[in-house]
Amino acid sequence: MSNASITMDERGRTWEFGTRQVVYGAIGAALYGVLSWATNIFPLPAAGNITFRPAVAILIFFSIAYGPWVGLLAGLIGNTLGDMLTGWGLYWNWSVGNGLMGLVAGIGFLTIINYRGTRDILKAIGWGTLGIAVGMLFASLTEMFVSGIDLSTALVGYFLPAFLGNFVVTAVLLPILMIAFAGVAARRGR
Amino acid sequence: MLVNWKYRPRDTFIQRLDPRTRFIFMACIVLALTLPEIWDYRIIFSLFLLSLTLYLMARIPWKDVRRAWMYIFILVFFIVGINAVLFGRGGPSSLTSYPSPVVFVLSLLGWEKPITVARLWFAVVQIARMLTMAMLALPFPYTLDPNIYGITFKRMGVSDQISFTMDLAFRFLPTFARDLTITIDAQRARGYEVEKLSGGIVSRIQRLAPLIIPVTMQSTVTGEEVIDAMDLRAFGTARRTWLKELHYAPRDYLMIGLGIAIFIACCVLKWVYGIGDFIVPDFFIKLFV
Repeated sequence: MSNASITMDERGRTWEFGTRQVVYGAIGAALYGVLSWATNIFPLPAAGNITFRPAVAILIFFSIAYGPWVGLLAGLIGNTLGDMLTGWGLYWNWSVGNGLMGLVAGIGFLTIINYRGTRDILKAIGWGTLGIAVGMLFASLTEMFVSGIDLSTALVGYFLPAFLGNFVVTAVLLPILMIAFAGVAARRGR
Repeated sequence: MLVNWKYRPRDTFIQRLDPRTRFIFMACIVLALTLPEIWDYRIIFSLFLLSLTLYLMARIPWKDVRRAWMYIFILVFFIVGINAVLFGRGGPSSLTSYPSPVVFVLSLLGWEKPITVARLWFAVVQIARMLTMAMLALPFPYTLDPNIYGITFKRMGVSDQISFTMDLAFRFLPTFARDLTITIDAQRARGYEVEKLSGGIVSRIQRLAPLIIPVTMQSTVTGEEVIDAMDLRAFGTARRTWLKELHYAPRDYLMIGLGIAIFIACCVLKWVYGIGDFIVPDFFIKLFV
């Protein structure tokens, strides 16, 4: 299965942190930053206070394709870059939350064999959803200490909209990204 | 479309500070407010004034930060402020039982909520507390050279690999922004209307795929080339050297000392002397009684 060759080689080195993780962590972060910023230029109208960040699908994709370290760095640095490009300053807890989102989703890297297969795509969405839940929960709960909000505001006002928005984007765009990646990996042969 | 990086070199006290100093000082203030759970307006207003002074010293033009402030104001005033007034949420548990006169009763669709003086004051304090932290964080993108983030974190004890990832991400940014611009132009030439995404939410998101997929896939190919180049130069086999060096000046020690002193003072006030809990000043109560 040619499209799986890239991960078959790497799966045993899930927690390795070398040149590959440095480079793809940086690429994931830069893409996440640029697309987060671009979303502000072409915003997607949404219901209520749910905002859609299509860039989240890129983060989950990099986590699934290159592992947890790449996901962690892409989320942590990428969110910081996106906020800085937009000029919003630094929100450390949301950056760490995004990093956790990538880290947890990246554990799914272990289980994905065929990037075109329906079963593996569903698995990837599942890991992505878990990552989104953990990351956004962390960011929302830490807002209790940072902003002084209470638990119900953290859950209903912050966590739920962030989780729903990110989940929808991931469920729609991740399969497209995975299928496209399978084609690129097959052509590259590594 | 160009990525308009917000940084501009200005000869200000804030920009002359070592970047590590600024991160450490911000961490001290955030921890001073959050760790001992300070809600006393006397401490919060003092730190608010300090934060405002430092923000003004950064001399960032209003037109640069207008959008960011709009976002902060919406978040702080509408989400946090109104929530604090209506529900008194988020503060210390003593707030809900704090004895204070009722200013008015809010009646909405049969739901009645007494708005007390304590809740009004809590909203003011909470807004000041949040703005204190926001004003320390906001100037970073406008006043810190993007080329020194890597070395800053390296000198703060972060590993070479993570610091280099950060450095590399900043350098990739304009490249991917350019790739995105080219892709948008190419898709527009084929009749794709970026500004007119129609249909339901799912189909709108799906229609972003022609922009996102080419840029992402091209970046994965670029990544392999960069890995090859770095491997050929034996990246990660020895300790890295960095082009820029950072040195602390006396003003940096002063600022770090001030930050640490504020943090310790807040902890001592709260945990040793019991000062720092939420209180409503008499003058504020008299305004409504």
